[in-house]
Amino acid sequence: MSFKKRILFCITISFLQFHTFAQDIINLNLVNNKVERNIDISSQIVEITTEVTIENTGKEPAFYTLFSLEPEARLHLAYIGAVSQEEGKPTLRVFPTAIADNKKEAFWRIELKTPLQTGRTVTIKVETVFTHFLIPYPSQITQSERQLVYYHGNHYYYSPYLTKTQTTKLTLASNSVESYTKLKPVSQTDATITYGPYENVGPMSFNKMTVHSENNNPFLAVSKLHRALEVSHWGVISVEEEIDIHHAGAVLKGPFSRYDYQRDQSGVSSVKVFKTVLPASAMDVYYRDEIGNISTSHMRVLDDSVELELRPRFPLFGGWKTHYVLGYYVPTYEYLFNSGDYYVLKMRFVDHVFDDNVIDHAEVKVILPEGVKDIQLKLPYQVQRKPDQLHFTYLDTIGRPVIILEKSNLVEQHIQDFEIHYKFQKILMLQEPLLVVVALYLLFILVIIYVRLDFTISWDPQRESRLHASGLVERVLKHQDKLTDIYFQYDAALMKYKVNKDNSSYQATVKKLNSDHKNEAQAIAEALSKMKQDGSELVEKISELQRLDRNLKEQFHHHMTLVEKLISGKMNKLTFVESEAAITRKKEELAEKLQALTNSL
Amino acid sequence: MSSTGVQYKKKGWLIQMSPEKQDTLLKMLILSMAAILSFSTRLFSVLRFESVIHEFDPYFNYRTTRFLAEEGFYSFHNWFDDRAWYPLGRIIGGTIYPGLMITSATIYRVLRFLNIPIDVRNVCVFLAPLFSSLTTIVTYLLTKELKDAGSGLVAAAMISIVPGYISRSVAGSYDNEGIAIFCMLLTYYLWIKAVKSGTIYWGALCAIAYFYMVSSWGGYVFLINLIPLHVIALMITGRFSHRIYIAYSTVYCLGTMLSMQISFVGFQPVQSSEHMAALGVFGLCQLHAFVDYVRSRLPKEHFEVLFKTVIFLTAGLSALVGGVLTVTGKISPWTGRFYSLLDPSYAKNNIPIIASVSEHQPTSWSSFYFDLQLLVFMFPVGLYFCFSKLTDANIFIILYGVTSIYFAGVMVRLMLVLAPVMCILAGIGVSSMMTTYAKQLDVSQQDRKTKRFESNFFMKSEVAWTFLTVMMALLVTYTFHCTWVTSEAYSSPSIVLSARSHDGSRIIFDDFREAYYWLRQNTPEDAKVMSWWDYGYQITAMANRTILVDNNTWNNTHISRVGQAMASSEEKAYEIMRELDVDYVLVIFGGLTGYSSDDINKFLWMVRIGGSTDRGRHIKEQDYYTPSGEFRIDREGSPILLNCLMYKMCYYRFGSVYTEAGKPPGYDRVRNAEIGNKDFELDVLEEAYTTEHWLVRIYKVKKLPNRGV
Repeated sequence: MSFKKRILFCITISFLQFHTFAQDIINLNLVNNKVERNIDISSQIVEITTEVTIENTGKEPAFYTLFSLEPEARLHLAYIGAVSQEEGKPTLRVFPTAIADNKKEAFWRIELKTPLQTGRTVTIKVETVFTHFLIPYPSQITQSERQLVYYHGNHYYYSPYLTKTQTTKLTLASNSVESYTKLKPVSQTDATITYGPYENVGPMSFNKMTVHSENNNPFLAVSKLHRALEVSHWGVISVEEEIDIHHAGAVLKGPFSRYDYQRDQSGVSSVKVFKTVLPASAMDVYYRDEIGNISTSHMRVLDDSVELELRPRFPLFGGWKTHYVLGYYVPTYEYLFNSGDYYVLKMRFVDHVFDDNVIDHAEVKVILPEGVKDIQLKLPYQVQRKPDQLHFTYLDTIGRPVIILEKSNLVEQHIQDFEIHYKFQKILMLQEPLLVVVALYLLFILVIIYVRLDFTISWDPQRESRLHASGLVERVLKHQDKLTDIYFQYDAALMKYKVNKDNSSYQATVKKLNSDHKNEAQAIAEALSKMKQDGSELVEKISELQRLDRNLKEQFHHHMTLVEKLISGKMNKLTFVESEAAITRKKEELAEKLQALTNSL
Repeated sequence: MSSTGVQYKKKGWLIQMSPEKQDTLLKMLILSMAAILSFSTRLFSVLRFESVIHEFDPYFNYRTTRFLAEEGFYSFHNWFDDRAWYPLGRIIGGTIYPGLMITSATIYRVLRFLNIPIDVRNVCVFLAPLFSSLTTIVTYLLTKELKDAGSGLVAAAMISIVPGYISRSVAGSYDNEGIAIFCMLLTYYLWIKAVKSGTIYWGALCAIAYFYMVSSWGGYVFLINLIPLHVIALMITGRFSHRIYIAYSTVYCLGTMLSMQISFVGFQPVQSSEHMAALGVFGLCQLHAFVDYVRSRLPKEHFEVLFKTVIFLTAGLSALVGGVLTVTGKISPWTGRFYSLLDPSYAKNNIPIIASVSEHQPTSWSSFYFDLQLLVFMFPVGLYFCFSKLTDANIFIILYGVTSIYFAGVMVRLMLVLAPVMCILAGIGVSSMMTTYAKQLDVSQQDRKTKRFESNFFMKSEVAWTFLTVMMALLVTYTFHCTWVTSEAYSSPSIVLSARSHDGSRIIFDDFREAYYWLRQNTPEDAKVMSWWDYGYQITAMANRTILVDNNTWNNTHISRVGQAMASSEEKAYEIMRELDVDYVLVIFGGLTGYSSDDINKFLWMVRIGGSTDRGRHIKEQDYYTPSGEFRIDREGSPILLNCLMYKMCYYRFGSVYTEAGKPPGYDRVRNAEIGNKDFELDVLEEAYTTEHWLVRIYKVKKLPNRGV
């Protein structure tokens, strides 16, 4: 399948997943043979796992089964998912549906993996998670009191089908239970209450269950989560989470006494510290709020994650809230995949905030690089997409596209990956460095123009001639430098000739050097004549320079004839050494004079 | 093979440049190094703690800057702040010098325009170091005008690290002074330029710089008195000329008009007595110029007669007009702070609120050395060199030096005004001496023959070497001293405290922010917080709650009312708190950690200020002392103190805390005493929050009980 086709496929799938709102009917031939419910109220969230064995007593095969919730439970539902207990435990698709003649109730359609044939049974496991379903009672407690909560539920499995036998197991946070409804048979051992088995309960049966028990687990809820993912193709993805968090348990009544809090660790239901787990590759983590860094936090780097121990500025008691920003960077290569110009970003929609977290409302912003095209989204569950925006940061010209997604009522089960597919031309990565280069280039050009050109309105002949003169001197010095190079080359050529006695190459070199020397000397003479025209006071020095140069050239000439004589055997070694020493001495003298003269210029 | 030995030397690339270019390169190199140094030496606190605003006033500036950056100039100008001075409120736009905020908001906007996403807070934090870099450059320019480029470079290098200036301009210390010193020196530079050139161009530029100065700091009054003083001095020394006439007339006219555009300044430049000197000198300038003109036209005898009559007439007339205007109130009398400049004991005797601020105390000798070190000794040397070659410009710097050293002696915070002139004069001194001796080194090297005949200079070169070595050593110690002072004394944000624990690790006390953030998050949006005025700005900026009094101490009676509440017994205080509609009360208490600048140590000022108005007559300082005149918080302490609201709020439930091994519970580690009143309950307040180290304690004022309960 080509890439584009795959994208198309993904979209169709997601379309099917989210927008089907079919009209279904209740198939009364389905019967719940056996129901086992497990209600876990040991943390701040209510997690109900229902294992149902369904039998098809009708003639037609059933393709789906319906799931329903009590009216008050429905409002608190955060997550629903179903798994078949068949071979391989495949995940089943669940989505809300409507029943033509029953508008009061809410139904979810669970599509079976294989149609349920007549007389056959299938076992499925439905997991539902409810938030803010436990009600603190008393709703206000003092610092030293424990937190008690109410759970209101149903003794029976709320189903559109007949239920033959069912049991319910309730897991509590602690052994201390104030009260619970006693619909027999019922039993309590430690922190569990078992209801049932109840036989042959009709469809949509409701019998109120109430449990009042102690629960001092942190009742923390994130009221608002702003998560911003900024993707850079240059190496890192920055993740920043702005979090409004509050203690949703029983509200603190009366004073907060630091003395009591420090002495006997009272305030059992308050939250002093909580743990956030970040991806293993998270680096440069920061934890701050509007008024600066929050200096109380610890970070532990584990093998498969980074564990942050976050301590808010103050302990959170019931009804207290705080706000903070947590940010970090992750390397791009772990989350961004590409083939050619096609990219896929695969990241978590929301991440772990604390164990059993409740996020009332999340807004996720994805900032993609500048110049991204053909953006396609693939989401694990239904979220609301807001209109796109543009974001400007360093060196941006047309702005980066920002995708904004929103979802309410999230729990740990929502920590799932979402995908963004887009197209990005790699050449665009050069845009920003080029921009810097061009800007600097322009700046330098401006400086050059400003320095080189004269913007004064008035004409200052003195300044002008001074500049002119210094320009000429600079030119002379440049040529003199070249001459110095030529002197070196003369010496080198002579040395070489003395050693290898290669006449032809020597002659060629000397010829070339002679002409070079002539050119340079000529250039200096030109500059000098110009200086004479200007009437510069440096004329004498330059003339002196020329004279010295001529002398030096002469010495080279002597030296050359000497060497030539030696090579051709017209001179014996001893006299050669003597006269060469004399010439060298003269050359040294001249070189020193030359240097002194150039330095004085 | 001896020919290899010949060396034809080329010039090095550096030598190849013409002397002017070398000169420019060296100057730019040294100057930019000094500028970078002055920026980076101020970053200690950012590196040690974080990029955070320091102290008290900067929090207000930060808050207003944020408002300006977000809401725009017009809403800033018309901003009525209902978060402060409850129930009075404060018109922010008309009661501040907006230069600082406008500067950083402009920088912020420009960066935003260039798509550089920077936080307003970071602009604010790094503004002072940025401006001190600019100050370094301006100091160079100014000193160059006064003496020469060499002195300029020395002065620039000195000012880049002088602690007296660093104390107010470290990163995070976001205060008016941070940019005002730059503005002041810029104005001086342009003024010297104007005096030297006598052109309207430089005069006008100087007026604009002066306008910037006025818009950023109340200290501009010093400037507008110093420049006229300079003109007077020039007149007296007979140096008055057309140049000075043009310069001063331009600067005064334009500068005054521009300064009146700042709404906080308003008509003060023509009404208040602080500005009258400038006006008088302006008049005098016209007279002097006129007299000079007439003198050139009239014979000498006629002129004498005319001169005398005119002098008496104008003197009499101006005295009369001045008197009438003062009596009718057109010229406002001098403000308290100004009096205290002239007479250091004035404030102490008359206005407790001025005296209570630590930075308004007279400067001790040790702090001169601490803040200026080498400069203290080099200052007179520089003065000597200025006197030895007196010019118009030199007279200015002499006047600046002499006046500011007096003011710095009167008030600690004015050390800031002294530091630049110290650097300039010391720079001139050091540079002049070094030049003198360095030249002798040159002579001794080049022509040794002449040396033999100058027998009156014995061991010239050696003496020069010794002198230069000593000077170098002094400059090096200056550098070390400055860096040490900066790092140890001036780089703590005071909002975050740090201490060493027994095992040497660092403990951070972040209690202030803990408390402010608690207020911000967990009190009603419209809650009114009562605290001593020191913490006002911090509470509004960080907790975003309404406060009764803050660091802009404009209403003495209101502050006094708060002082009365703190100093009264619980019942009396409750009446005051009900009257002021207080919801929360915040106190700073250092007894557990040993933080000494807490509210108990400031308490006597609350008593004094509380008792300074009519409604607080019953509060007498004497009542809070023991019969032997001591201020004690233990059992011996005065019962009125032991039962007042402040005492109770600080020590509520502290009586059962063990603070130090081997000491009884309730042992106060600041006052080193066991508290005298231990087991008490609060009737009208309840503890709302106490921070981890008990540094900040917040109480909630209970509502009146329901009828019949």
